[in-house]
Amino acid sequence: MPSRRRTLLKVIILGDSGVGKTSLMNQYVNKKFSNQYKATIGADFLTKEVQFEDRLFTLQIWDTAGQERFQSLGVAFYRGADCCVLVYDVNSMKSFDNLNNWREEFLIQASPSDPENFPFVVLGNKVDVDGGNSRVVSEKKARAWCASKGNIPYFETSAKEGINVEEAFQCIAKNALKSGEEEEIYLPDTIDVGTSSQPRSTGCEC
Amino acid sequence: MIAGGIEDEEKWLAAGIAGLQQNAFYMHRALDSNNLRDALKYSAQMLSELRTSKLSPHKYYELYMRAFDELRKLEMFFKEEARRGCSIIDLYELVQHAGNILPRLYLLCTVGSVYIKSKEAPAKDVLKDLVEMCRGIQHPVRGLFLRSYLSQVSRDKLPDIGSEYEGDADTVVDAVEFVLQNFTEMNKLWVRMQHQGPARDKEKREKERSELRDLVGKNLHVLSQIEGVDLDMYKDTVLPRVLEQVVNCKDEIAQFYLMDCIIQVFPDEYHLQTLEILLGACPQLQPSVDIKTVLSRLMERLSNYAASSTEVLPEFLQVEAFSKLNNAIGKVIEAQVDMPIFGAVTLYSSLLKFTLHVHPDRLDYADQVLGACVKKLSSRGKLDDSKATKQIVALLSAPLEKYNDIVTALKLSNYPRVMEYLDIETNKIMATVIIQSIMKNNTRISTADKVEALFELMKGLIKDLDGAEEEVDEDDFKEEQNSVARLIQMLYNDDLEEMFQIISTVKKHVMTGGPKRLPFTVPPLVFSSLKLVRRLQGSQEQEENPFGDEGSTSPKKIFQLLNQTIEALSIVPAPELALRLFLQCAEAANDCDLEPVAYEFFTQAYILYEEEVSDSKAQVTALHLVIGTLQRMHVFGVENRDTLTHKATGYSAKLLKKPDQCRAVYGCAHLFWVEDQDNLKDGERVLICLKRALRIANAAQQMSNAARGNTGSVSLFIEILNKYLYFFEKGNPQITVATIQGLIELITTEMQSDNSTPDPAADAFLASTLRYIQFQKQKGGAIGEKYEPIKA
Ligand SMILES: Nc1nc2c(ncn2[C@@H]2O[C@H](COP(=O)(O)OP(=O)(O)OP(=O)(O)O)[C@@H](O)[C@H]2O)c(=O)[nH]1
Ligand SMILES: [Mg+2]
Repeated sequence: MPSRRRTLLKVIILGDSGVGKTSLMNQYVNKKFSNQYKATIGADFLTKEVQFEDRLFTLQIWDTAGQERFQSLGVAFYRGADCCVLVYDVNSMKSFDNLNNWREEFLIQASPSDPENFPFVVLGNKVDVDGGNSRVVSEKKARAWCASKGNIPYFETSAKEGINVEEAFQCIAKNALKSGEEEEIYLPDTIDVGTSSQPRSTGCEC
Repeated sequence: MIAGGIEDEEKWLAAGIAGLQQNAFYMHRALDSNNLRDALKYSAQMLSELRTSKLSPHKYYELYMRAFDELRKLEMFFKEEARRGCSIIDLYELVQHAGNILPRLYLLCTVGSVYIKSKEAPAKDVLKDLVEMCRGIQHPVRGLFLRSYLSQVSRDKLPDIGSEYEGDADTVVDAVEFVLQNFTEMNKLWVRMQHQGPARDKEKREKERSELRDLVGKNLHVLSQIEGVDLDMYKDTVLPRVLEQVVNCKDEIAQFYLMDCIIQVFPDEYHLQTLEILLGACPQLQPSVDIKTVLSRLMERLSNYAASSTEVLPEFLQVEAFSKLNNAIGKVIEAQVDMPIFGAVTLYSSLLKFTLHVHPDRLDYADQVLGACVKKLSSRGKLDDSKATKQIVALLSAPLEKYNDIVTALKLSNYPRVMEYLDIETNKIMATVIIQSIMKNNTRISTADKVEALFELMKGLIKDLDGAEEEVDEDDFKEEQNSVARLIQMLYNDDLEEMFQIISTVKKHVMTGGPKRLPFTVPPLVFSSLKLVRRLQGSQEQEENPFGDEGSTSPKKIFQLLNQTIEALSIVPAPELALRLFLQCAEAANDCDLEPVAYEFFTQAYILYEEEVSDSKAQVTALHLVIGTLQRMHVFGVENRDTLTHKATGYSAKLLKKPDQCRAVYGCAHLFWVEDQDNLKDGERVLICLKRALRIANAAQQMSNAARGNTGSVSLFIEILNKYLYFFEKGNPQITVATIQGLIELITTEMQSDNSTPDPAADAFLASTLRYIQFQKQKGGAIGEKYEPIKA
C-alpha cells in the first residue's frame, strides 16, 4: 500500500469534563491557553504536522466533550483511532477514578483489533494549580494504575504552563505510529465495475 | 426516516458501508495512479451512500464517519495536486460537475478547505460561497451532517485574529458571520424536522432530534473558540444573534438545549456582563421549556466561578448578579403557574447556593431566598413529593455546608419555617444532618436562645410529631437518639448562669420526648447538669459569695431540676436507670455538703428499689450500687446514716438467693468502717455483718448439699475470709487472730471432706489467699507482726 495510508495518525482525547482536554490540545497545536472554561460540544479535531524519524505525519487530534449530555450522537469517531489519550486532573480524585470507565468504554466502542496492546497514554493535568498543594492524586498512585493496565506511558502536564505537553504528544505520536492498527483491507467481490456502483439509495434526488 | 425495525436498519447500514467501501477502493486506486477524474468519479459515488434516508442519526453518523475518513485522503491528494501546480480554482470548478448535489457539496467543501489553505482566494469569500451553496440540501439529517462537515473542515481556517487566514479584508467579523449563518441554517433544519412526517411518529422523531442536537450546538462551541470574540462582540453581536434564533424558532427542544449550550460554552465573565440579556430571553421561551434547569445550571456555573477565586467576586457585585437572578427567578416562578413545587425549590436552592458563594456576608440575601421559598411552599401545605423534599434538604444543607456552623443558619429566620414543610421523616433526616454538622465542626452552641432555636429545628427527633409513623426501625431510632444525646453533651457555656439556662431549655424539650426517648436523653442531661454543679462548687470555693442574690443559679436549684428530670423516667418505666441517676445525684449533693438533698435522692433510690425493681438480678446490681455509694457518703449525720445503712442491710438480707444475700451482707460491713472517717469505724457492727454473712454461707452450703450433694458455696467462705483479713489489717479490734484461724480451718476441713467434689477455682482462690497471708508475714514491720500469729 502506498505511504499515504500511514501518514495520518488519529488520536482521541478522553476524560471527565473540565480536566483540560481542550486546553491541552490548544496548547499543543496553537501554543495558546485560556483560563476561561468553555465546554466542548460533540467531538472536534485539530490537525498538526509532526516530524518523526525523518518522516512527516499529520496528527488528527480529536477532542471530545467530557459532559455526557454534549455527546448526543455517540462515538462513531472512535473508529480507526491509533492512540487514545486519557486525561485526568491531579486535583480531582473523581476524574482519576473515572479513567477506568473511559478506557473500558473506549475499548468496547472502538473495538481495536488487539485491545491488549492498543496504545493509551495517560496525562495527569493541572500540576501547576496552587503550586501542587491542592493535588489529591499522587504520581505514585497514577503510575501504579498505568502499570496495572499494561504499562501505559504517563505524563504529568500543565496546559497552562505548557509543562510536558510537547513531550506527551511526542510520545502519543510515537505510540500511534507503532500501533498495529491497520486499516481494514477492503477487496471488492469483483474488480470489474459495472452495475454494482449504482447507488441503491432511493431517497429523494438530492 | 420510515425505516422499519432495528434489524432493517442494520441491514441498510451494512449495505451502505459495503457500497462506500467498494467505491473507496476504486478511489484509492485512482489516487495511487494520480487519476483525478476517476478519483472524483468514485468519490462522488462513494458519497452517494450518504443520500440514504433509511438510517437513524446514530447509524447515519457511522456511515458519515467512514466517508469523512475517506475524504481526508482525497483532501491530501488535492493538497498534493495543488503543490504540483494544479490550479485549485480549476479543481473547485471541476468538482461541481458531480451529478448529485449531495456528493457535489461534500466535494466542494473538501476542495474549498484546500482552496482557503492555498490562499488563492480570501477565506471569507470561499466560506460565504460554501455556506450559501449548502442551502441546496433541505433534508434535515443530510443537511445537518453536510453543514457539520463544512464546519469541521473550515474549523482551522477561519479568518480570526492571529490566524494565518486573517487577511486585509478578512476579519474576525467574517468568521463570526460565517459560523452564525451556518448555525442559523442548521437550527432551522433541525427545528423543521419536528414538523415532518406523521404525528404518530412524534416520539421517535423527538428521539432522533435529540441525537442530532450536538451538530447544532457545536457551532456555538466553534464561536466560543474564535479568537477575537471579545466581550463587546459577544454582547453586541454573538449573543443577540444566537438568542434571536433561539427565541424565534419557538421550538421547545431547541430552546432548552441551546440555552444550556450558551451557558456551558461561553465563559463566566461574559455571562456576568450579559446577565440581563440572557435572563431577558427566558420569559420569551415556550412555556414548556424547562427553564428551572437552565437557570439552575447557570447559577451552578456562576457559583463555581465565584468559588474559584475571591478575586472574581467584585465582578458579581459590580453587575448586581444576585438581584438580577433573584428577579428572573421570581418572574419565572410567577409566570409558570404549573411549575411543580420541586422545580421552584430547585431554583431557590440554586439561588441560595449562589448567594452563599458570592455574598457569604449577606445573610439577609440568604434569608430572603428562604423567605421566598416559604411563600411558595405556603400555598401547598406539607410536601409529599419526594423529589421536592430532596431539594429542600439540599436547600437547607447549603448554609450548613457553607458556614460549617449551625449558629449562622440559626440566624436565618426563615430557616425553621422552611423545615416546617418537610414531612416527618425528612424533617428527621434534616435534623440529623444538622447534628452531624455540629459534631463535625465542633460547633459551640453557647446560649439558651440558640439552644431553643436549635431544638425547635430538630423537634422531629425530640418528640413525636403528629401523624408520625408507628413503625420506626429500632436501629435507626437508637442511632438518632444517640446523636441527640451526644449533642446535649456538647452544649456549653463558660458562664454558669447561661449554662443553667441552657440546661433548663434542654430539659424543657427533652421532657416532651415520651417514654421511648427519655432513656437516651435524660442521662446526658443529668451528667451535663452534674458537671455544672461541680463547676459551681469550684467557683464557690474560690469566691466567697458569688450567688448572693436569690434568683441566681445554685447547686440546690440544679438538684431540684434533676429530681424532676429523673422522676420523669418513671413513666417509661426505667427504674434501674433512674436509681443509678439518683445515686449519682446523691453523691454530687454529698460533694456539695447538702445533706437533706443527698438524703432525698437516697430516699428516691430506695423507693424505686422497693417498689419498682423486681427482677432479682437487677436487685443485686442495684443494691451493690446503693452500698457502694452509701459507703462514700460523708455528708450524713449519724441519724440519717443509720437509717440508710439499716435499710441497706435489711434489703441485703432479703435478696432471693442465699449467695447474693451473703455477698450483699458482707458488703454492708464496709458501711460501718470508712477509712478516712474516724467517727465511722464501728468494729462491732462490722463483725456482726461478717458473722451474719457466715451464717448465710452456711445455710447456702446446707441447701446445696441437700439439693445436689456437693459443695458450691465454699468459695463464699473464702470470700468472707478475705473480708476478715481486710478488716483485720485495717485494725478492727473485733477481728482477732483466733477468728481468722478458725475460719481457715473451717474452710480447709470443708474442702477435704468426703462429700465435697473437687473445685479447682476454689482451691486456687484459697491458695492465693493463703499466699497473701504468707506474703504479709514476710513483709516484716507492723504488718508482719500482725500477721505473724496466723498459721496458714
Ligand atoms: N491551572 C490550570 N488550569 C487548567 C489547565 N488545563 C485546563 N485548565 C482550566 O480548566 C478549565 C477546563 O479546561 P478545558 O480544557 O476546557 O477542559 P475539558 O476537559 O476540555 O472540558 P470539557 O470540554 O467539558 O470536557 C479551564 O478553565 C482551563 O483554563 C492547567 O494545566 N492548569
Ligand atoms: Mg473541552
